Amino acid sequence: MATTDASNIKRLQVRRFKPDESPKEHYLNAEKGLWSWLTSVDHKRIGLMYLASIAFFFLLGGILALVLRTELLSPARSFIDADVYNQIFTLHGAIMIFFFLVPSVPAALGNFVLPLQLGAKDVAFPRLNLASFYIYTIGAIFTLIAIFTGGIDTGWTFYTPYSAETSTNVMMMTLGIFILGFSSILTGVNFIVTIHKMRAPGLTWNKLPLMLWALYATSIIQVLATPVLAITVLLLAMERALGIGIFDPALGGDPVLYQHFFWFYSHPAVYIMIVPGFGVISEVISTFSRKTVFGYWAIALSSLAIAFIGFLVWGHHMFTAGQSSLASMVFSFLTFLVGIPTGIKIFNWLATMYKGSIDMKTPMLYAMVFLFLFTIGGFTGIMLGALVVDIHLHDTYYVVAHFHYVMMGGMVMAFLAGIHYWWPKMFGKMYNEFWAKIACGIIFIGFNMTFLPQFIMGAQGMPRRYYNYIDQFQPFHQFSTAGSYVLGVGFLIMATYLIHSLLRGKKAGSNPWGSRALEWQTSSPAPHHNFEHTPVIVNGPYDYHKPMSEFQLGIAHSHNGHHEGEKVDVETGTAQEKA
Amino acid sequence: MSGHHISSAKFLWSVGSALFFLTFITVAVTWVQIPAPWNIVVAIGIAAVKATIVVAFFMNLWWDSKFNSMLFVMSIIFFLLLIGITLLDTLYRVDPTPAF
Amino acid sequence: MSETSAVKERPEHLKHYFVDSDQQFDAAKMGMWVFLVTEILFFGGLFAAYIVYRSWYPELYLQASTELNTFWGTVNTAVLIGSSLTVAMAIRSAQLNQIKGLIINLWITISLAFIFMVIKFFEYTHKFEKGIFPGEYYTYEGIAHEKANIFFSIYYMMTGLHGVHVLIGIGLMIFLVVKAKKGAFSSAYYTPVEITGLYWHLVDVIWIFLFPLLYLID
Repeated sequence: MATTDASNIKRLQVRRFKPDESPKEHYLNAEKGLWSWLTSVDHKRIGLMYLASIAFFFLLGGILALVLRTELLSPARSFIDADVYNQIFTLHGAIMIFFFLVPSVPAALGNFVLPLQLGAKDVAFPRLNLASFYIYTIGAIFTLIAIFTGGIDTGWTFYTPYSAETSTNVMMMTLGIFILGFSSILTGVNFIVTIHKMRAPGLTWNKLPLMLWALYATSIIQVLATPVLAITVLLLAMERALGIGIFDPALGGDPVLYQHFFWFYSHPAVYIMIVPGFGVISEVISTFSRKTVFGYWAIALSSLAIAFIGFLVWGHHMFTAGQSSLASMVFSFLTFLVGIPTGIKIFNWLATMYKGSIDMKTPMLYAMVFLFLFTIGGFTGIMLGALVVDIHLHDTYYVVAHFHYVMMGGMVMAFLAGIHYWWPKMFGKMYNEFWAKIACGIIFIGFNMTFLPQFIMGAQGMPRRYYNYIDQFQPFHQFSTAGSYVLGVGFLIMATYLIHSLLRGKKAGSNPWGSRALEWQTSSPAPHHNFEHTPVIVNGPYDYHKPMSEFQLGIAHSHNGHHEGEKVDVETGTAQEKA
Repeated sequence: MSGHHISSAKFLWSVGSALFFLTFITVAVTWVQIPAPWNIVVAIGIAAVKATIVVAFFMNLWWDSKFNSMLFVMSIIFFLLLIGITLLDTLYRVDPTPAF
Repeated sequence: MSETSAVKERPEHLKHYFVDSDQQFDAAKMGMWVFLVTEILFFGGLFAAYIVYRSWYPELYLQASTELNTFWGTVNTAVLIGSSLTVAMAIRSAQLNQIKGLIINLWITISLAFIFMVIKFFEYTHKFEKGIFPGEYYTYEGIAHEKANIFFSIYYMMTGLHGVHVLIGIGLMIFLVVKAKKGAFSSAYYTPVEITGLYWHLVDVIWIFLFPLLYLID
């Protein structure tokens, strides 16, 4: 820092640092060779490695889904047997949740964006970050081994007593999940410390971008909830190995206790999955409305509120499990509460768009899709939270439709919005806007075709995880399967134009969207150490009424000492800013 | 300089002695017949005092950033929520009597 | 510490993404505290199982607890508290740049931890001789409660997991001794000692709760 006053106010000499529009060196070519990638502690490269891994798992989980839906084209056996069917839906769930959704925004996009938005050179513990990635990989390998050595057929929830007795390879799978949990925990640790300790000068909590508030809330959930999952799968493994009997009624145990432990993690886990998506939506909507987010503190604090209340509602998965009615009533009431902060966000995002200058680019299109689909998913969640209604709807396709609307219609759409938004920053290339919009449209249509009928089916009584069904449901199933193929086509188109962008895409400038956020004030692709200077923040993160130059300030002499004493050329005219 | 509090050897030894003494109390209390559930309350209470001493004066939370203290307190709160709400189920189960 | 020009020497331990040593130290400490939060919740699940089953079978806990040796449990408690004291002294030595003292205190801590594990080993083997095994291998007839195996399953899970953490702590501290002998630590940089100490104290705190809950059910 230039000088330090005795008081709390630091005075900094700042000047404007315009980003290089055609950088010769950046993080992608700073070090060459496969080994440099595999041993990289650069958060951006680690983020990309996560991205490649989760893309692989999304493909795997998606193929499993298509197989499931194809089997369901007709009642009874179409082309796979019942026990294979059980294994496929178990794997589809476990892979999509643990290997795709939970790491998707935090580990892939979050790793990439967080230090850039903070103005930091990296996360607080870069080597731990790389370790997190390898722990994820090892957990994934254990899971793949489990798939190929006996499979698992318990459902992704591994309920006892079946999971303690089945001959499928539950041990290997739970070991994989146990290991994976550490990856999630260590990422959470890294993010919390980074956000607390490594903010750029001037970046006070009230100027923190909402993406970072979301990642912060997510990290808190990850840190508090994942250990309980770890102990749960450890206990399950011990139950199988030693027959300890904590969950076995024959030995005096209680299977519902397993469900308590399991859902204590798995309900907050759904908030781990969606809250980062909320962060992405805040960024995308403000950028493409060229307006400050309406109700900044409401959105920031509602992320924390969701994180907290989300820990109190887990029993709404257990209304029919034999839980005491007192507990069921308490959980139902709390479940209604948790919808409130979420609803607040939706209204605030709509208000952000009102009288904004809307630029309907692909990320914004995905954000609109998100608002529509997630609202449906959220409403149906509240409906399921009504205790008496849930008695009828539990374990039916209504639940399946609900969680696909929030997880896929919500989170995956937000993730895609984030990918399309930050793609230029990650790769320095643009993608074909026309085909991107076509793919978005196809995905939207395919998604609704697949899952809207499932609400109706479920309310009429079609149970979930069922291989067989009665004839009255066949038209619904067939329509749903057709929709799943449309979805597949949409994703194929997406893969095509994204790969084309990597190979032959148009070069992107530093700030193709005209955003005020800090990550856009450096070149694309990002430089090896993120910024060539120490950024200084003077404005709020979405102050679109302020000129772009005020978002590109940095400490004047931190790089080479030559600019000491130079005045800043900012249009507001002040030469010194309070930190 | 932040976060570099150095305790004197005398201080650390007196903290250790206090903990040894409290351990003796922990065992001694079991020689007194205290009716349930108060015996559990006393046992947990003494353990909590010992734990607080370790956390405050060995782990230096007493002189550390308030945020780290908040982290610790939050973990306890969430642990209490886990058991509290689970007990709402396990303690209040009533075997259903069939109506037919 | 202020950065007056770019050509200032940075200490070797200071990473390029931190501004100064204090920031790096505070970040490491905060990171360890966040990790300790996860450890508390991890063991918390086991304490939750303990509480649920104790509320259902209080007489079982009373009877089964008599099989646990209060004397050796007390000794182990004193051993762990002693090791907490010595690890705090080790950190103090590092803070005062007394590397010899650091190494000695670390060795004492390791020895005490080792004693703890030895006592645990004898406790376990004594139980195995009687047929008190975890889970379905339980064959002991000495407790007149049909669910006796549940208490011992919880006992073995909690003390076993705790023991694993003690072993990990021993490993970490041996690593610290090796690094200290190579001169890696000084009063300017002793962060790994500090955060290992925090981990070790938590292992002690967990035992402080395990001891009365398992051994002293009167």
